[in-house]
Amino acid sequence: MALELVVLIKVVPDGKEVFVDPVNFTLNRSMATNVLNPADENALEAALKIKDEHDARITVMTMAPPFAEPFLLECMSRGADQAVLISDRAVAGSDTYPTSLTVAAAIKHLGKVDIVFAGEKTSDSSTGHVGPGVAEFLEAELSSYSRSCKYEDGFVIAERELEEGVEVVKIPTPAVVTVITDSNVPRRATLRRKLDAQKQGIIVWSLQEIGLPADWVGLRSSPTVVKKMLPFPAIERKSKVIEVDKIDEFVKELVETGIIKQGGN
Amino acid sequence: MTEMKKAEPPQDVSEYKGVMVYLDSFNNSLTRAALEMVGAGRKMADKTNEKLYCAVIGENTKGMAQEAGMHGCDEVYGFDSKDLAMYRSKPFSDILAGLVHEKKPNILIVPGSKNGRDLAARVAVKVRSGLTADCMDLDVEPDTKILLARRPDYGDSTMSEIRCEKHRPQMATSRPGTFATPDPDPKKKFQVEVREVTLEKNQLNENIISFNLKNEEDITGSKVIVSGGLGMGKPEGLQLIKKLADMLGGSVGVTRPIADLGWISREHQVGQTGETVRPNLYIAAGISGQPQHIVGMMGSKVVVSINKDPDAEMNKNADYVIIGDLYEVIPKLIESIERVTGAQPSPA
Ligand SMILES: Cc1cc2nc3c(=O)[nH]c(=O)nc-3n(C[C@H](O)[C@H](O)[C@H](O)COP(=O)(O)OP(=O)(O)OC[C@H]3O[C@@H](n4cnc5c(N)ncnc54)[C@H](O)[C@@H]3O)c2cc1C
Ligand SMILES: Nc1ncnc2c1ncn2[C@@H]1O[C@H](COP(=O)(O)O)[C@@H](O)[C@H]1O
Repeated sequence: MALELVVLIKVVPDGKEVFVDPVNFTLNRSMATNVLNPADENALEAALKIKDEHDARITVMTMAPPFAEPFLLECMSRGADQAVLISDRAVAGSDTYPTSLTVAAAIKHLGKVDIVFAGEKTSDSSTGHVGPGVAEFLEAELSSYSRSCKYEDGFVIAERELEEGVEVVKIPTPAVVTVITDSNVPRRATLRRKLDAQKQGIIVWSLQEIGLPADWVGLRSSPTVVKKMLPFPAIERKSKVIEVDKIDEFVKELVETGIIKQGGN
Repeated sequence: MTEMKKAEPPQDVSEYKGVMVYLDSFNNSLTRAALEMVGAGRKMADKTNEKLYCAVIGENTKGMAQEAGMHGCDEVYGFDSKDLAMYRSKPFSDILAGLVHEKKPNILIVPGSKNGRDLAARVAVKVRSGLTADCMDLDVEPDTKILLARRPDYGDSTMSEIRCEKHRPQMATSRPGTFATPDPDPKKKFQVEVREVTLEKNQLNENIISFNLKNEEDITGSKVIVSGGLGMGKPEGLQLIKKLADMLGGSVGVTRPIADLGWISREHQVGQTGETVRPNLYIAAGISGQPQHIVGMMGSKVVVSINKDPDAEMNKNADYVIIGDLYEVIPKLIESIERVTGAQPSPA
């Protein structure tokens, strides 16, 4: 039986095109176009690499409004076999708990799944909660912050990149693997596949289809609430101007206050 | 077993009391981030006049538990097993969620290291509560005991305050480097309870095959950081930055565009999408001071900005400002440090 792989994606505003408005210091997103979350491109590529080696089928999935459709088609043009869009008014305003719940319910609805791939984090909210949350709901093993992964006889062997170094883990499937940004080079879509994807189209599921009550998700069922926007905490600094010909006195001051050590550090 | 259910608030929120900190560890010692969270937790526990609980999981946690106690915890729970020497997502989250059900803390904070984030996200689902990531500031409202979790917005110059009013515990992570580590107090009274745990077979599925320690420099612990931005204009500028950093026994930092250009590895990037640092001395050369950079270094004790532009935003975030071309200013600074302190530039 073919390995069943699922790749979770999210469409986010393009970070490179977002710029800070110099007048009121707010972020100008009006010019920003949407892109596939960078880490999710690497998650898709990690799944495609497994498909290169094994008999596998890839389903890409996102919970989003219909504007995500072209991005799902793009993933199919790169080699995914089918795409699911979970689209329902009721999910609007979901925080990471109901998002993980909805995505996990949709994965269960797909049937047998061996490996779920997600990005380490999204570039807009950047919580990194959804991958581990999905693993928890699916009671699956988890390899987070993975830079590579392979499949071997019912196991995933992944390299996790941690602060202290690189850990190699071996976990049985079903497993969730979250993939770090820039950990591989995403392949391009082919024209042939583009045309096929257009013809095949995407699958759209509502909450009813995946069997979730509408009052389990959305803003009202999200434990966290954004209360207010605050200005950045400004630290008062004295901004004392040091003339270039008075640098010695400045360095002496740093030595006297213990910031620089006598005789070098 | 985590049933597919919605996040459920507890019947009686007032049963939840105190602050709990999960203590991250590596090689049987607490991480710096763990101690930072003890400091942040202590402040909130004092504000509400409640206890600070800590949880540490490992092979032999007693020493770590005592260290956490001296740094400000009231009750420390250690969970020992030879199978828990390394972080494993499933058993660690089971144990922490178990302690949450037993102690019912009002607030649970977890260091935002990679394993910490992995753990917190799983535990939030197990205890069916809300979790806020990457908080730059953690505070509690004394009367309502509501956690005020503040985090920077995406690429923005504002912060959101995120609350979890109905669900318990109220959970948050903060990036390592966000808070100062508290000083130990050998006279601090605390209780330590170490429990032996036996793991069921199915909890031990995660097999760690190997661990390769990183050689790359970790700038987050440096006392001095000299950072260069696009004002360097060419990769050679980094050699000058490094010369100054080496002389001061410090590390090299950069802004995001420099890491994007590939002039140096990502580990050196300071800011919202890089590292959070709080050295005694931060020298920013050729850096304009965008909010995404400032959030990564605002905890620094003394900040120096070297910039051609007297109006650069970086200057407003600096204690000392030297206006000029960094290619002229840094060599003068190096000479001056030699003269004043006797330090020698390394032959780079
Ligand atoms: C979502 C998002 C996340 C981001 N995350 C980060 C992050 O983590 N870290 C980060 O740093 N940035 C981050 N950025 C980018 C950030 O917004 C700025 O673009 C970046 O910090 C600017 O880098 P800079 O100061 O090096 O360059 P510039 O803004 O181009 O500033 C260069 C400065 O050098 C000065 N200068 C020029 N020549 C000289 C000279 N010869 N001598 C002295 N001074 C000179 C100029 O006056 C100017 O002030 C992020 C952006 C987004 C949208
Ligand atoms: N709405 C969503 N639909 C599908 N997958 C998602 C969604 N949001 C997040 N993810 C996945 O979870 C990862 C981490 O997202 P986050 O927890 O938001 O940082 C992303 O890289 C995606 O793989």
